[in-house]
Amino acid sequence: MISFFAIIWNGFREARRNKVTVVVAAFALVALLCTSLITAVTVSTFDRVVTDFGLGTMSLILVFLAIFLSSGLLSREIERRTIFLIVSKPVSRSQFLIARLLGNMLTLGVMLLAMTAIFCLELWLLKLPITSTKLAAAGTLWFELLVLSSAGFLFSSFASQTVSALATSGLFFAGHLSGDIYALAHRSPSAGMKLLGEAVYYLLPNLERVNFRPLATYGLPVPPSAALSGIAYSVLYSVVLCVLATLIFERRDFR
Amino acid sequence: MTNSPPSAPPVETQALSKTYKLGFFMNRTVRALQGLDLRLEPGEVYGLLGPNGAGKSTTIKILMNLVRPSSGTARIFGLPPEDVATRRLVGFLPENPAPYEYLTGREFVRLAGQLLGLSGHELDQQVTRVLGLVELGKAEKLQIRRYSKGMVQRVALAQALVSRPKLLILDEPTSGLDPLGRRQMRDLILEERQRGTTILFCTHIIPDVEALCDRVAVLVGGKRVREGSVQSLLAQETPIMEAVFEGITSERMATLGVATQSVHELGGRLVVQVDDSKSQTLIGAVMAAGGRVVRLQAARFTLEDLFMSTLQQAGRATSVGGEISG
Repeated sequence: MISFFAIIWNGFREARRNKVTVVVAAFALVALLCTSLITAVTVSTFDRVVTDFGLGTMSLILVFLAIFLSSGLLSREIERRTIFLIVSKPVSRSQFLIARLLGNMLTLGVMLLAMTAIFCLELWLLKLPITSTKLAAAGTLWFELLVLSSAGFLFSSFASQTVSALATSGLFFAGHLSGDIYALAHRSPSAGMKLLGEAVYYLLPNLERVNFRPLATYGLPVPPSAALSGIAYSVLYSVVLCVLATLIFERRDFR
Repeated sequence: MTNSPPSAPPVETQALSKTYKLGFFMNRTVRALQGLDLRLEPGEVYGLLGPNGAGKSTTIKILMNLVRPSSGTARIFGLPPEDVATRRLVGFLPENPAPYEYLTGREFVRLAGQLLGLSGHELDQQVTRVLGLVELGKAEKLQIRRYSKGMVQRVALAQALVSRPKLLILDEPTSGLDPLGRRQMRDLILEERQRGTTILFCTHIIPDVEALCDRVAVLVGGKRVREGSVQSLLAQETPIMEAVFEGITSERMATLGVATQSVHELGGRLVVQVDDSKSQTLIGAVMAAGGRVVRLQAARFTLEDLFMSTLQQAGRATSVGGEISG
């Protein structure tokens, strides 16, 4: 277990020393602080605008970071041949892969915590309520990032950084639209289209299941069952992606 | 830790082959390794010698579980390379090592130690020991991105030595090092050998093989074409004598009727190389023709000569890769 935690910690340390992460963190800080400026051009719906803008900023920045960190990680290790010195140690490839993913998730988790703290501070300074819905919306964002990072890892296990970044970005948009795809297909008179729509719906991750930001914006409560099932769904989906990534990674030759 | 001395051979391969499939449709193949048999004895330094693409690195990568063999078997202390436990006994230095550049030398060696299961005081002690061994103690707090190539090679060697391995696998350990660095690397290898560590290393720097190896295998085109101790391999070659004569011209020498390997004029003297079996006949003939023997000695046949003749026999007078088809 020492080696497993050493790889997780090293992943966190790598991200912390990466200039992109530092720049993104600085940008996130500035962007969140700018949220308060929005109130200057808002007439009465301060809470709604600040929450929407704050959570939206967190989501966009962290999704960008998740795609950047996950899509290039394995391909970069293979291209730079840093993997030679790690895989040649008594560490299984699957252990390495999972630990690297968890290292990324630790980085994203720390960033999310820091951004949530700034967001809450801002709400407090603006005398706006810090509700459980807002906290739940911020918390479940981590599970959305988990699905995207797992997908990035899967693509990264066999494709270059550019290809896996594009594929993961595509999956982010498709994942938020999969419900619409399902609904559209069901309106089609063709049975084949319905079947295709259903297949696409079940194949793509449904990221809306852990997206409670609209509820937070409109001050609606998050049903605990919806939150829990969304979390379980995203964890399960990530496990499937990790198993696929491991199967591919285990068979790879590192020339 | 499973660092107890195992009884199985440190490295054993049988009919080990590797064919790489290339291209978008995987329709081109490169036969990097063809039926390689190797067996290392405990405590020996074994060199893999060969031109580029001979299969040296592929052999090492199979042993380190970086590449899967197409057929045949590889064993480290009797266990397959994919068995995680074997890698606890092995220190590995890859060719052109690429440690994480964002780490300091100490952090990197520490990470390697943790991956080998070391922790706490023992980890700190071992990290300090190996960094001192490779003379990186003063630079241990610098990020590796600031290291020179020689320092990178040293920190990579340090991570290979951190758990006192029973088997060291070194891929081109002296490449990119200055003469001083090469000497230090050789000394470290010899120290490890004295400690009883089995060492497998591949290189195309022949003087390193001559200086370090108990036994050597020459690989060409993915096949082992020679194997043995350096002395025995050189002894297999026909001994050549080198004679220096005065008072005889090269034209006269050609009329003596004794076959020679080479004849060169040097400062009014003739330097002649001849098979040992014909040297006495030649001396007699030269003296009968009025010449005088100045010197007679055995011509040194080096491992480099052996290497070049082996390549020529294999029809590979230049550096080449594996067999490409498709």
